[in-house]
Amino acid sequence: MFLKSTYNELLKIAYKPRSYIGIGGIILIISLILFAFRLDGQIYISILTGQFEQSLSFEGTILNGNLIAYIILQMLIIHVPLLIAFVTGDLISGEAAMGTIRLLLTKPISRTSILLSKFLASCVYTSVVIICLVIMSVVFGKLLFGTGDLIVLKSDGLIVFHEQDVTWRFFYGFLIAFLSLVTVASLALTLSCFSENSIGPIVSTMGIILLFTIIGTLEVPVFDNIKPFLFTTHMAAWRYFFDDPLSIKQIVYSICILVGHIIFLLLIALYKFNKKDILS
Amino acid sequence: MTRLRKVIIFIFCIAISQNSEAQNPNKLLSLVYAKLNKTNNYSVDVNIKVDLPFIKMPPIHAKIYYKQKDKFNLVSKNIAILPKQGFVQLTKLINDTNSFTAMYQNNEILNGTKVSLINLIPLSDTSDVVLGKLWIDEAQQLILKSQITTKLNGTIITTYEYNTQKAFGLPDVMIFEVDIKKFKIPKAVAADINTTQKKEAEKIGKKGKIIITLTGYVINKGIDDSFFKKQDNY
Repeated sequence: MFLKSTYNELLKIAYKPRSYIGIGGIILIISLILFAFRLDGQIYISILTGQFEQSLSFEGTILNGNLIAYIILQMLIIHVPLLIAFVTGDLISGEAAMGTIRLLLTKPISRTSILLSKFLASCVYTSVVIICLVIMSVVFGKLLFGTGDLIVLKSDGLIVFHEQDVTWRFFYGFLIAFLSLVTVASLALTLSCFSENSIGPIVSTMGIILLFTIIGTLEVPVFDNIKPFLFTTHMAAWRYFFDDPLSIKQIVYSICILVGHIIFLLLIALYKFNKKDILS
Repeated sequence: MTRLRKVIIFIFCIAISQNSEAQNPNKLLSLVYAKLNKTNNYSVDVNIKVDLPFIKMPPIHAKIYYKQKDKFNLVSKNIAILPKQGFVQLTKLINDTNSFTAMYQNNEILNGTKVSLINLIPLSDTSDVVLGKLWIDEAQQLILKSQITTKLNGTIITTYEYNTQKAFGLPDVMIFEVDIKKFKIPKAVAADINTTQKKEAEKIGKKGKIIITLTGYVINKGIDDSFFKKQDNY
């Protein structure tokens, strides 16, 4: 019954036009990035190497598919949550707005199962978005720019990874990115339980992400104790896989924080959804 | 007594002639250049180990192709980092004897070898080279160390170790000491949203090394010009 409910939720997502906004948006944005780098990639390369060009020369193909995939992931991971919230913020509140939630709850399945099936469906949707991101950035990036070593620009220097040392880093990086987006999906789903219209949860989700990101970026000591516990701080945890040496402790900590947020938000959602009065 | 006097005079003459050679830097440089000039072209396998502040990268393997006078190409599947004043510039500098004044400074002991320190002072105000210093092993006519200061690229100190190709003056190990200036990247470009400014103090310029080990020289076997067509970095 749970799986059938999840399947139904996936069908609902598939039939909603807004579900394709995210995927279409990703395809459009990445196409623009690939086009721009094809024409003016050398400007970015000069940013990468410019700090050292007085005394060093860089030999080899710096602008390659791996660098493009890294840049795209870096650029889009901030914006993709909006695309995820479009869909997941609508899962409960959309039904409430349309009045279909009453019909849904007459089914011989518990409210907990309904909510968890919606959560599972949102995870599947998130994974589709991530796979789209992978295909557009890694696959098309490598097709257009070839492959090669990856130069990662960090605020404290450059790290060069050999080509054969990059694929597994991307794999785990995308897994962490998936976990980050599932956290956003959980937040949007939870907020969706509190609302009777779709706009509220979507805007609230983005507002919370924006607020937490600003707090995380502000270098003010008063926020230092809060920052490690904000999920937005750990949404960039995929970058830890592009550190040398690998910081396993930080990766595990970030995973714990993200999973903790997902569980906490789902518990709130379950409590609220089970107590929800259906008035429409 | 006459025989002893002749021996003393002979030894004195040799000492004088050696001293005059040592104090004739142009002659010494021409000997060094003549040795380097024996090599018309070569290819060599290199291992490049970068130990620079602000840069982390694993060692890489590459192949270097060189052809007289200044054709140079490094071929590698990997991204390689080399000092701006690398392989060709020193040879070019020594060759162009009209562009500088060579001055003998003194004799020194460098890693147990007696060397002559020669200063190269450019004659032209517009020259990129500000000062060159060469530590030359007179006995073997080998450059053991160089320090080239240029307007554009700062100072690079290079130490040379010789083994298999001493006859051609080609080193087996080159150690470049590179001065990296202060490193600063806008946070938005680096996108390290979780880093703080606590690391700022670590970003002040530091010295680092690039160690190049050269093995498997193939000398004067001829290299086609197509090997020197450079690829863009992007």
